[in-house]
Formats: sequence, C-alpha cells, structure tokens
Amino acid sequence: MSFWDQAVEIARVDLQVERRIGDVLRIIFPFAVVALLVFPLALGIDLAAITRIGPAVFWAIGVLFGMQVALRQAADDRPERRDLYALLGVDPAARFVGRSMSGSLLMLGFMFALMVATLLLYSPRLPEGWPIPAAAAILLTSIGLTELGTLAGEVTAGLRNRTALASLIVAPLAIPLVLGGSQTLESLARDTGILPWLLLLFATDLALAVAGVGLARPIEEASR
Amino acid sequence: MRITRILMVIAAISIGAGLYLTFTSPTDRLQGEFTRIVNIHAPSMWVAFLAFGVTALASIMWLIRRTNAWDRLAEASVETGVIFTATGLFTGMVWGQAVWGRAWDWADPRMASTAVMFFVYIGYLALRRAIPDPIMRARRSAILGAIAVIQVPLVYFSVNLFRSLHQTQSIRPDGATMPDSMVIALLVNFAAFTLLYVALTAARIQVAKAEEEQAADTVPAGDAVTPPLLSEVEDV
Amino acid sequence: MRLEAVGANVILDGAGVSLGGLAVLRGISLSIGSAEVVGIAGPNGSGKTTLLRLLATLARPDEGSGRVLGATLGTTEVYAVRHDIGLIGHVPALIHELSLRENLEHAARLAGDDVSRIDRALRVVGLEGAADRKVGQSSHGMLRRAEAARLLLTRPRLLLLDEAFSGLDTSARDLVDALVERSVAAGGSVVMVSHDANHLASRADRVMTISSGRIEAPA
Repeated sequence: MSFWDQAVEIARVDLQVERRIGDVLRIIFPFAVVALLVFPLALGIDLAAITRIGPAVFWAIGVLFGMQVALRQAADDRPERRDLYALLGVDPAARFVGRSMSGSLLMLGFMFALMVATLLLYSPRLPEGWPIPAAAAILLTSIGLTELGTLAGEVTAGLRNRTALASLIVAPLAIPLVLGGSQTLESLARDTGILPWLLLLFATDLALAVAGVGLARPIEEASR
Repeated sequence: MRITRILMVIAAISIGAGLYLTFTSPTDRLQGEFTRIVNIHAPSMWVAFLAFGVTALASIMWLIRRTNAWDRLAEASVETGVIFTATGLFTGMVWGQAVWGRAWDWADPRMASTAVMFFVYIGYLALRRAIPDPIMRARRSAILGAIAVIQVPLVYFSVNLFRSLHQTQSIRPDGATMPDSMVIALLVNFAAFTLLYVALTAARIQVAKAEEEQAADTVPAGDAVTPPLLSEVEDV
Repeated sequence: MRLEAVGANVILDGAGVSLGGLAVLRGISLSIGSAEVVGIAGPNGSGKTTLLRLLATLARPDEGSGRVLGATLGTTEVYAVRHDIGLIGHVPALIHELSLRENLEHAARLAGDDVSRIDRALRVVGLEGAADRKVGQSSHGMLRRAEAARLLLTRPRLLLLDEAFSGLDTSARDLVDALVERSVAAGGSVVMVSHDANHLASRADRVMTISSGRIEAPA
C-alpha cells in the first residue's frame, strides 16, 4: 500500500472513530462556546467593547480550544495500537500525514462553527470583504494548529497528563498562528495588506509539515 | 405505547390550536410581526425549566430508590429540556436580530444564564454518553443532575446580580401589556408546549425501554462465537 | 559466544535492553532457525515481554547486536521487515470504537493485504456471528480470536506470542496452535513466552529459561 493510501486509510478510520465518540461536537465545541460566553460576563456589559473584542476572542479561544481538537482522545494512539501500526509496516510519516488530514478537517469544522457562534454572540464589526480573507486565515490556521497538535501529541504519547502537557508545549509555539489569523482581518480593516500574514501562516504550515514528515521516524523510535 | 400515542395526538392538536391563535392574534405596533415569536419563545423556556426540574427530581429519586425508571425519566427529560432550551435561545436570537439588530442581547441577563444552563445539560448528556455501564451511568448522572439543580439557580442569581450593577434597559418579548387575544394565544401555547413535553418525554422513555430490552436480548458474548475451523486454517 | 547460523531468522549476540534506566535484558545471545518453535519461560518481571519486543523490533538493543529476518536491530533496516513479524501481546492491539471486522479491514488495508479474505478468516476463527460487535462489547477470548484472524491474513514469517494461551478455552488454544503449525510449515519461526514452562514444553522444540534479564541454561 502506497504512502498516500496509508495516510488516507488512517484519516478515514480517525474520522470514523470521531463520529462514534463525538469528542469534538459534543464536548470540545460546547466548552469553547461556554468560553465565548464567559468573556463578556467577566468584562461587564459594554456593548462597544464586546463588539470590538469579538475577533480577538475568536482567535484566542479558537487556538486554545483547537488544541483540544488536535489532542482529542481519538487521536491518542494507545501503545498497543502504535505497535500494531509499526508491525503492519505503516510509514510513521504516513501516520503523521493521515492524522493531520483528519485533524485538519475536524479543526476546520470546529473553527467555522466557532466563527458562527462568535458572529451571533459578539456581533463584531468586520471590514468590507471579510469572508474570503477570513476563510483563508481559518483554513491555514486550522492546518497549522493540527500539525502542531499532532506533533505535540506524538512526543507526549502515553505520558501521564498528556493533554495538559501537550497543550503547554503547543500554546507558545502557536503564537505565529494566532498572530497570522488575527492580523489578517486587522490588516484588512486598516488596508495595510493581508498578504504578509497569510504568507506567515502558509510558511508555518509548510515548516510544520516538513518537520512532521522529516521527524516522523525519530519520533516513532523515541517512543520505544 | 398506546398512552404515548394518545399523548402525541393531543399534543399535536393543541400545538395546532396554539399556532392558529399565534398567527391570528393582533401584533404589537412597535415590534410588528415579531411579537408572534413570544408565543414560541416563552412556552419553550417554561418547558425547559419544567424539564430540568423534573430531571433534578428524578435524579434525587434515583439516588433514593435506585430504580431504572427514574434514570430513564431523568434522561428523557434532559433531552427534551435541551431541545426546548435551544428553541428558546434560537427564538430569542431571531427576535434580538430583528428588533435590536443584534442576535445576542448581553443587556438581558436571562440570555446568558439560559445559555449557561443549556451547556450544563449538554455536559450532562456528554457525561451520560461517556459511560457505557448502565448502573455507573445512572449513579454518576444522578449526582450531576442533583448538583445542577443546586447550581443553576445560583447561576441565574449571579448573572442577575451582575446585571443590576450594569444598569441597562431592555425590552424583551414579555407579555405585560398585551391585548386579551394575545394573552389567550400565549396561554394556549403554554398548555400546548407542556403537553408536547409530556408526550416527547413519554416517547423517549419508551425508546429507552426498548433499547434496554434489546440489550438484554443480545446474545451473550460467548454465545456469538463458534468453534474454530482448524482444518481450514491453511485456506485463508 | 558468536552465533552466525546460516538461515537463522533471529540472531541475538549479547543484546541488552534498558528501560527507565534499569537493565531489563542483559547479554542475550540466541539463534532461531526457520521452522523452529522456541519457548522462553520465566517468572514475572524476568524480561520475557521485553525480549519479545526486542525481537519484534519494537524495543532497541542498548548493548550487543541482533538481526531479525535479516534486518539489523536498532537501524532503519527494520522498517522493511516489520510487516513479516506477527505479535500477540498482553493487550489486544485493536481499536476500541470499531467492530472486530472493521479492525481487520483497517489492518488489512494498511498492510496491503487482501480485504476479500477477511470473511473467510472470521469464519475460520469462529467469529462469523460476532464480527460486527465493537471491541468494547467483546470478551478477551473473542479479541484473541480476532488477532488470530489478523495473523491468518498477514502470514508473518516470525510469530511472537506473549502469554497468548492464557485465559483461552480449549478451542481457542487449538486455534493458536494451528497458527503456530502453519507458521512452521511455511518455514517461519515462532517464539512463545510464558511463565509456565510445562505449558511450553509440549509445544516448543526447545525451551529456554530467562531470569533477571539473562538467559539461563536451556531447560
């Protein structure tokens, strides 16, 4: 079976498992919406402020809770499953790519649902022509965040407190994604050019993809 | 089974009557056609509170009696409660968008506290789903159901207190100065939604019972296995 | 002692493995030829499972060297031979949320095996009527049978069994025995570990004893 067939098969089963346990839809997304509700309550009723912080809150919560999407239970290979994949001759890089594909799809769905919730709760003032740049920024951020989460999930596989530990590793590394995502719309509003920010996101995605594929074997061996 | 069906028919008829009155009663001059939303919004919220109240009661009863029936009632009531809360929030948002130009009215604390309550019970359902063993599921969700009923009024109280510190005025789709025909329409809808809640909850309990019976009928793990065909091992 | 037996599927030369700073295996030297069944007996904590994981290329030698199916342990050569190694470990390697059949399909697709043979494999191991059960709803014996079905499909040249007979009824034990026989008939090697030496004696061509991470004299 070719590299891509293996990656697609792993992504397919990942999504099938997620459909059955529903971590993202039933737990992580509701949790993220509760977080959206908490901000204005902590801020006090100031409609102008709520309108203004909407996009910022979206990116902050999107990235912090997006990590939970990347680290969800379905993506946590138990040791015996990692052994099985190894003995079936699965290329560790194909596993990384497959994981990233299924994770990115879930992350995209999560981010778009979160965007709709933000629009409803915060009624943010958005610059003219925002949908396409926003969609591009969300797409690129979702891919990067998934790759980062998948890598952090690998280095913390099987460890106690895996989710908290991996989150700690991902959060500071995700800063370029938060900046790229939030500044895309900010630049659109100020008319200072969105391209540098989209390029930053793309470069981050690409660098993480190269790292993920290139380091897949050392990572696999490091877990033995 | 038959009682559930009869309940369904009665609920359907009364919902029909409620809708008829909703669309034939006069509208408020300021809010126009959107006044009619109150006929769905207010009864939905009432039923949501009723449902979560029933869940709390059933949870406490389960902790005392430990009989399946209370667990089924708690589960069924939460599910209907969540649907009606979602309906109430959605109609509130439609109304807010139409009248205020903002779907979410932060000045009305009830929206935020209702949303928080909604997620408390979304969490309750997620907990149920996460536990495969029926007895452990009943025990833990009964505890959470009992905790929720203590905590939800505190959530409402805290958010209201929060609002009183931030004086803002808000018009909500309340029925204080409605013409009589609108009041009647609203009352009919309250009755109709309550009947619908009873019918849906009864139906959900039937489903839970059927699921339990099916689980009991399933062949035990060992019986599904047949002796291996050792002579054919070579042929695979 | 140097072992360079011609045609050996497994050669270990003074191999040792440390886990968490502790030497779990020390100075292990052995050679296993084709069509040979080797039993390794030892008490709990003696290093049996680690030895099997070393042979499965899932643990790396920290000292000494070894070759499995021609690949040098601890190098990237092992990737090429892993597909020919079959392991039944303590914990069934199956995905919890999938049914037994779906697990077999997933494994077969990843390994590039023929998915159309799965139905026959399920029938042979006696799981035809239980194939659509989720792993979580299956008994230990059923999961072992599902793993046996997977090994029927992959036809490993090196079969490693870690207490694979424990907790199984007679017919399931017969099934594992049949897997062993098939492997031997095809010129493969089989290594089975158990804390019960008597149990190995009836099945293995030779039985070694392992204690505190070292192989003692052949029993």
